[in-house]
Amino acid sequence: MKKIFRRESVVVENRFFWASVVLVGMTSILILRLWFVQVYRGEYYRRISENNRIRKIEIPSPRGIILDRYGQVLLGNRPFFDLAYIPQYVKDKETTFKVLSRLLHVPIATFEKRLQLSAGQPKFLPINLKRNLSIHEVSTVQSNRVFLPGIDISVAPRRDYQPDTPAHLLGYLGEINKSKLEELNRHNNENPYMMGDLIGKQGIEARWEPHLRGKRGYRMIQVDAFGRQSHLFDRDRWNLPEVAAIPGDDIILTIDAELQKTTVDAFRGKYGAVVVMNPKNGQILSIVSEPGFDPSIYQVGLSGEEWRALLSDPYHPFLDKTTGGEFPPGSTYKAVVALAALEEKVVDPQSRFFCPGHFTTGNQVFHCHIREGHGQVNMREALMRSCDVYFYRVGVELGVDRIAKYARALGLGQRLGLPLNMERPGLVPTTAWKKLTHRLPWAPGETPPIAIGQGYNLVTPIQLASLYATIANGGSIWKPQIVNKVVSHVGKLILEESPQLIRTVPYISPATYAAVREGLESVVMDEQGTGKRARVEGVRIAGKTGSVQVVSLKKNHNQRDVSMKWKEHAMFAAFAPVEDPEIVVAVVSENDSIGGGGASAAPIAGKILNQYWRLKKQRTPVAAAAAAAQTVREAEDSSNAEDPEDKQRL
Amino acid sequence: MLKTRKTNSDFDGTALSLGSDIRESNQHYTRMLCVIFALLVMLGLMNLYSATDGNSFFYSQIRNAALGIGLFFTFGWLIAPRTLNTYAYWIFGFVCTLLAIVLVIGDVAGGSQRWIEFAGFRGQPSELAKVTAALVTARFFYTNKLRAAYKLSDLWLLAGMIGLIFALIFPQPDLGTAGICVLISVSQIAFVQVDRKSIIIVASTGLVLLIIAWFGLFHDYQKLRILNLFNPALDPGGSGYHSLQSLVAVGSGQIMGKGFMQGTQTQLQFLPERHTDFIFSVFAEEHGFAGAFLTFVLFGAMSYVALEIARQAKDSFTSLLGIGLTAFLFLEFVINASMVLGMFPVVGIPLPLFSYGGSAYLSVCIALGSLISIDRENLGLFRRVKPFGALASKFANKTLRG
Repeated sequence: MKKIFRRESVVVENRFFWASVVLVGMTSILILRLWFVQVYRGEYYRRISENNRIRKIEIPSPRGIILDRYGQVLLGNRPFFDLAYIPQYVKDKETTFKVLSRLLHVPIATFEKRLQLSAGQPKFLPINLKRNLSIHEVSTVQSNRVFLPGIDISVAPRRDYQPDTPAHLLGYLGEINKSKLEELNRHNNENPYMMGDLIGKQGIEARWEPHLRGKRGYRMIQVDAFGRQSHLFDRDRWNLPEVAAIPGDDIILTIDAELQKTTVDAFRGKYGAVVVMNPKNGQILSIVSEPGFDPSIYQVGLSGEEWRALLSDPYHPFLDKTTGGEFPPGSTYKAVVALAALEEKVVDPQSRFFCPGHFTTGNQVFHCHIREGHGQVNMREALMRSCDVYFYRVGVELGVDRIAKYARALGLGQRLGLPLNMERPGLVPTTAWKKLTHRLPWAPGETPPIAIGQGYNLVTPIQLASLYATIANGGSIWKPQIVNKVVSHVGKLILEESPQLIRTVPYISPATYAAVREGLESVVMDEQGTGKRARVEGVRIAGKTGSVQVVSLKKNHNQRDVSMKWKEHAMFAAFAPVEDPEIVVAVVSENDSIGGGGASAAPIAGKILNQYWRLKKQRTPVAAAAAAAQTVREAEDSSNAEDPEDKQRL
Repeated sequence: MLKTRKTNSDFDGTALSLGSDIRESNQHYTRMLCVIFALLVMLGLMNLYSATDGNSFFYSQIRNAALGIGLFFTFGWLIAPRTLNTYAYWIFGFVCTLLAIVLVIGDVAGGSQRWIEFAGFRGQPSELAKVTAALVTARFFYTNKLRAAYKLSDLWLLAGMIGLIFALIFPQPDLGTAGICVLISVSQIAFVQVDRKSIIIVASTGLVLLIIAWFGLFHDYQKLRILNLFNPALDPGGSGYHSLQSLVAVGSGQIMGKGFMQGTQTQLQFLPERHTDFIFSVFAEEHGFAGAFLTFVLFGAMSYVALEIARQAKDSFTSLLGIGLTAFLFLEFVINASMVLGMFPVVGIPLPLFSYGGSAYLSVCIALGSLISIDRENLGLFRRVKPFGALASKFANKTLRG
């Protein structure tokens, strides 16, 4: 074995060659790797390093405000505090939750559940652990933030619900769920929804969600490794973009807030619905559905038990009864039968029938609500005293199909299209309908109940209001209107809704309307009228009461002992003033404990009508001033319009 | 094969006559090392200023650099290699004593017991051990010269000494430093003729020991670091965090870098161990490929010149000491750079002249100084000048050998 030993040394000469190969080789590998990391993948790592230091802070947009027709705020916003959890910066989840749980008295499981709901979103995005912290809770968390890395208090403008907020009208907000989020974001990449966003779930909030939500803004901030904001390198090239949130559009309703308040007060304690409408254009002035619910609870979040309680309530607090509740119209339906009878010349206004207190057709006996009978009555008196026998006779002579023809012409049995909540069509029975649904021919004994608004008949409170508006205005069916204008947060008009005439009722002549209106006026204005409790001093009011028997009760049964479920529905529909109607009130009080329409529903309408005239008197000078302002504005507009011409001249 | 042992004196006579034949005029090696040293010192200090935002670490490093430059000149121009040869075992004994003291009463920082404090100086003897390992190996082969290949039985003393160093450093715990001491020695052994059978035996025992070590000796964090090498993104918040953030820092520097004091990863503290193990990430982030490439070339050139100096050396000791010191500088550079570039597990190996740390800085200066002294010895400069190193050597020869 021969090796070249170097001089006197034990070192082998050729090993130096290999050593330089290793040296140069390894250095080259390192340089190649350096090139790969810095040049080839540089862009990628630059992006990661930017993501490390730049955090996007979402700025929630305040929702649009909902105002009444006079600009009074029905639903506004105020700032609320949330507990935000930023996963990226949380060092130890368990400890953090333990500390938070002790500070806020919230079980750890609640936090865990919140976290699971937001699973899969980027780690720098904050997760709301608890909404709407009290000031005390905010200060508790703030003073312990040293122990809570990654926990933050965020401020967001949120709905400021006042007591007696009309829940069904305005609706409520709820957190968006995953499927809804995907559905909404599919065609909306510009202003996408995010988990935890609140969206409108009912009423105006839901219908006008796209306008109300506004546009989220964002702010880029620089943070250090510990998630603290840092102001290092604040030079031009680090300028971080900031986009302000755009508040949602304001919705101006046709509602009159003062009248709405009165309506709520007048209807307090009752179940059912009230609709107040302008018969000249279908604009709704106030609208109530009871029982309501507290819309603010959704901002906090409901427990499962509270949910179940709400859902199992026999009076369906979530149902908007103004459009979704169907009731037999009772005697309020007699107006329809009266119109049909006069128009079809079955009777003339002066024809008199004798009411002995009962009516026999075939082998069935139908009773009048006064067992003793009303004696000789004509149309006006029959309406005024709500004589059932008169209408039994007229109804039988008309037949169910002819009644239905007029009922449908007047807008019953079909949706009116109030763009608010789910609307039911009601029901106008005909022989054909019975054959189709029950597979049975129409029995002659079924007609008399139809003529007094019982039996198969169903109307919704909005239909009842619309029916009386049509009678009041002499045959125009207006689409119920709830939204007046949509205005951007800077006051720019975005959208204006004008009254929409659905159609004019055919068949019915003005004289017929006049005759029925006369009868309806005496219901309220005559001393014998059933609706006299709706009177307002100095105003001619027309209306019709209705008491719907849910089951027939024995005559001398004390109604106050009957359980709620089996009590009469009290109805009242009215319009005023008779000479030129400008307001319609429809009251439906379910299972009312006080009594029929005259005793229970009419006084409610009376209170509303009274307030209406009181407000009208109050507002007259204001209205005059507003009109003056309007002319000034128009003058300005016209002068602006002239400007370009001026310039051209120059 | 007959094993022939010869004494030192047999070689001493021939060394002079042979040397002048092979020698070329290569005094520029000294100059080159000085230039590279100066450049790296400046770059290192500048970079540390950025990494520490000019705090007390930086000023402490200035003091280290001043001391280091002093040692660089002392070891380069005043102490001849033969002085180191003479005192090699004494130095070994001294360093081992210090390491033993560290193990018993050392200061604990960051979970490791690595520091001792004496008369206001705070040092890390394990850093000195690296140079000592090179010194002791060189001295061993100088003393035990064989014409034939070395067998395992010939190397037991060396193995024992290096094993002692390893055994004293490893329990601190500091696998990186202990390992690099062994690697330095192994690099030196690689330059001598070793019996093939012995290599196989050592290699296979090493493998078995490694397996035993993996399951018995390594700490969990050490295992994790090795595993993380394969997938740093696996747990970016945990043990892979260092590797990943380092890569991000280096990569985001791109070609021209973000500028001095402008590294976002560094200045916003996303990069861990900015002033020690991951100091080079700072440099790469702020000065980009342009700066990092230049630095790599400087380190490569420094190692190459060092290797050339060792190649020119005339006797076993200077030659092997040169090889050992080259291995020390080059290994630290390669391991640290690989670690920073995500090619090697995170081990506590500093980057020479860049990382903060007094003992490491001084060790590197001593190593570079000694390389210069070897070059000067090769050129025969120590003979003419007769500095006290040469005098000391003569004195030592007289007293120790009689």
